[in-house]
Amino acid sequence: MRHDSSSLEKLLENPRVWRGKSQTWTEQGIASGFEKLDRQLPGSGWPPNSLTEILTEQYGIGELQLLMPALSKLSADDPLVPYAEPGWIAWVAPPFQPYPPALQQWRINLSRLLIVRPKDDSEILWSAEQALSSGTCSAVLLWPETLSDQDSRRLQLAAEKGSSWCIAFRPLSARNQPSAAALRIAMRADGHGTHLDIFKSRGGQPVSISNLFSG
Amino acid sequence: MQAREGGAASGSKARHKRRAADVQQLLPLAAPEAEVESTPAVQPASKRLWFCVYLPELPLDATGRRHSPLAVVEDQQGVHRILLANEMAAAAGVLPGQSANAALALLPEIELEERSTVVEQQTLEALATWLEQFSSFVSIASRDVLLLEIAGSLRLFGGLRHLRRRVASGLEQQGFAASLSIAPTPLAATWLARGNRRACIRKFANLLPKLRSLPLHCLDWPPAAHTALTGMGVTTIGDCLRLPREAFAKRFGAGRLIELDRALGRLPDPRASWRSPERFCADYEMTEEQSDRELLLAICQELLEAHEQFLLTRQLGTQRIDFCFYHLKAPATKLSMGFTRPDRSARRFAELLGIRFERLSLPEPVIALRLQGGPTQLLKAESSRLSFDRRSRPSECYSMTELAERLAARFGDDAVNGVTTVAEHRPQKAWRQRALSGGKTIGQPAFMRPDLKRPLWLLPEPAHLPVEAGLPLHFGRVTLLEGPERLETGWWDEDGIARDYYMAVNPRGMRLWIFRNRSRSADWYLDGIFG
Repeated sequence: MRHDSSSLEKLLENPRVWRGKSQTWTEQGIASGFEKLDRQLPGSGWPPNSLTEILTEQYGIGELQLLMPALSKLSADDPLVPYAEPGWIAWVAPPFQPYPPALQQWRINLSRLLIVRPKDDSEILWSAEQALSSGTCSAVLLWPETLSDQDSRRLQLAAEKGSSWCIAFRPLSARNQPSAAALRIAMRADGHGTHLDIFKSRGGQPVSISNLFSG
Repeated sequence: MQAREGGAASGSKARHKRRAADVQQLLPLAAPEAEVESTPAVQPASKRLWFCVYLPELPLDATGRRHSPLAVVEDQQGVHRILLANEMAAAAGVLPGQSANAALALLPEIELEERSTVVEQQTLEALATWLEQFSSFVSIASRDVLLLEIAGSLRLFGGLRHLRRRVASGLEQQGFAASLSIAPTPLAATWLARGNRRACIRKFANLLPKLRSLPLHCLDWPPAAHTALTGMGVTTIGDCLRLPREAFAKRFGAGRLIELDRALGRLPDPRASWRSPERFCADYEMTEEQSDRELLLAICQELLEAHEQFLLTRQLGTQRIDFCFYHLKAPATKLSMGFTRPDRSARRFAELLGIRFERLSLPEPVIALRLQGGPTQLLKAESSRLSFDRRSRPSECYSMTELAERLAARFGDDAVNGVTTVAEHRPQKAWRQRALSGGKTIGQPAFMRPDLKRPLWLLPEPAHLPVEAGLPLHFGRVTLLEGPERLETGWWDEDGIARDYYMAVNPRGMRLWIFRNRSRSADWYLDGIFG
C-alpha cells in the first residue's frame, strides 16, 4: 500500500503531530563527561533548558560527582567567546556545605557560585524558580523536601524561560510520582559501584547503566 | 609690598621697586596686598579661618574595611601595583609600589581592592555632607582635601579647640586617617595639613614663619616644577619666597606665584561651596481610608515613578528608599528597602517592593503614604555590553545583582552568598563565605593540590563515629579505601589539629571522609562526604 505510507509521512510532517519517540530530536545536550551516560542520552548529554531529577536513597554515593564535569564546563570561560560571562551555578538549600577546595579540584569556577539557603520548602521552589527564570544561571541545583507534579511543571517552565538547566535531588520514593522532568534518573550504590537507572528520558529510552564511574 | 617678601629680600628694596611694575603686569590680581599689610596690628585675628581636612589614605579608607589585611592596587602600565596598604598589611611587609603578586606572596590572605576614584569621590562627598554640621561653608578642594570656613562657627561649638576635637573624633569614628590644620587662608591650611603640621594659626602674622619651613611636596605642584626647584636647591616654601618674583613667574608660571600669594593672604582666594544633593520626598493623601493592597501598591508605584523622574533629571541614583504608611489611629507602618547598587529605576524598585509588600502587615487601613528617597549619589550611566553571549537571553530576564537582591530581600543578606577558598591546611578553615554584593576582590582562590582527595560535601562540624573492632561505624562497618593523609597543623593557635584522614566507604555505598585524632583518645570522626 504505497499510497497509504506516503500519506502517513505527510501526516507526520505536520508540526502539530507529536511523536513519543521523536527521531528528529536534535537539541544538543550538555556533555556529561561520562561516555557511558552520554551514549544513552538523547542529544548526547544532559537535556538543556529543562528539569533533570536525580533520585537517591542517601547523599554521598556520587550524585554530585555525576554532575561535576558538566558544571565545570558551564562555569568556565568560553575561549571562543572571550567577552561572554559564564553563567552562574545556583545551589538552593544544599543539605551540607558545598566544599570549595573540592569544587576547585573539579575545576568549578568558584566566582560563579551562588548558594541560597531559604527557610522552608515553598521558598526553595520560589528561589529555584527565580534563579532559573533570571537568565543569568546556567544551572540550578535544588534539594526540595517535596516536589509535586505541579511544582515540577513550574520548574520545567522556568528552566525553559531562562534557558537554564535545573537539577532536582529527590528521594527514591518519589519514583512513582508523576513529574514533568525531561530526564529522571534513579541512582544507587553497592559494594561494586554506582548504578544509574534512567527510567524517564524525553526523546530517549529507559535504560540502566551499571558501574558508571569505573571505566 | 617689598617688606612682605621676607627678611631675605629686605636688602634689595630698590631692585624690587623697579620690577614691581612687571609683576603687576604679570599678575593683574596682585593689588590687594597692601590692605593686608597695612593693618596687621589692628586686626589680630583673621576674619576668615579655614579648617583643612586632608585625607592621605582616602583610597584605603573608602573601601570601608579595616579589620583585615587590605591593600589598594592601581593599574600602572598593565601591572597591578600597591598604592596603599593598611597597617595589618604593612606589618607583613606589604609596601606601596610593590606588585600585587609580590603582596600576595608576602601575605596570601591579603585582600586586594582595585582603586576606584568614583567611590573615593562618593566618600568625599558623603564626608562633605557630614562636615556641613560644623560650618555653612564646606568646599571640596581637591580629590583628598576638604575645606571648612569656621570663623563663624567658633562661638557655637565652644571655641576652636572643641570644634577641632569634635571633627577629629568624628573622622576617627568613621575610620578616616586625617590630618587637620587651621589657617587664615585656604591654601595655607591645605599645605600645613599636607605637611602633617597639625597647625592652628589664627593671625596672619604667625602664618609666614610657619609656612617657610614647609617642604615643597606639600604644595602638590606638578612633578616637573618640583624637580626643577629641588634641582636648584629650593626645598621649602621659604626658599621659594626668597626667589625673585618675576623670574619665578617666568620659569614656573604665574599660577605658581598666584598660589603663593593666595596662601599668604595677599590675593583673594574664592572657593566654591559644596551643597549636599537633594533628597526626594513625596506624600500621597487619600480621601478616605484604604485597605486594598493592590491599590496601595499602585500608589507606591506612582510615587516611585515620580522619584525616578526626580533622580533622572539630576543624574542621581539612590541605594535606599523608605515608605511610610500612615493610619488614622495606629502608629505609622514603615518599610525600608536597601539596594546593593545605586539605581533609580522605578520598575526595579517596584518589583522588590512587591516582594516585601506581600509580607507587610498593616494594622489598619491607610490614610496617607510617604516615599522618602535615601541619600543620593551621582549615577554613572553604563552602556550595556554587546551581546557576544553564547545564547540570546530572553528580554524579560534580569541581571545577577537583581537576582541576588530579590533573594536577599526575601531571606535576608546572610542566606544568599558565594564561596571562595582560603590557603589553609585545616579543612574547616580552607574556605569562607563571600558576599555577592561587595566590591570585586581580585585575590585569587588558593591553589589546591589535585592529588589530595577532598570531599564535595563538608559537615558543619566533624561528627563523632562509634567504633567496633577498631573500625568506625556509619550505617555499619566502614571500609577504608585510601589514606592516611596526615594533617598536623595550626599548633600556633587554639584550633590546632593532628589528624589522620582516610577515604572510606560504608555498606550503603556512601563515600566518606573520616579522620582519627592523634591525641590520647584516638576517636574517629566523619568530616565530609564525597558526594
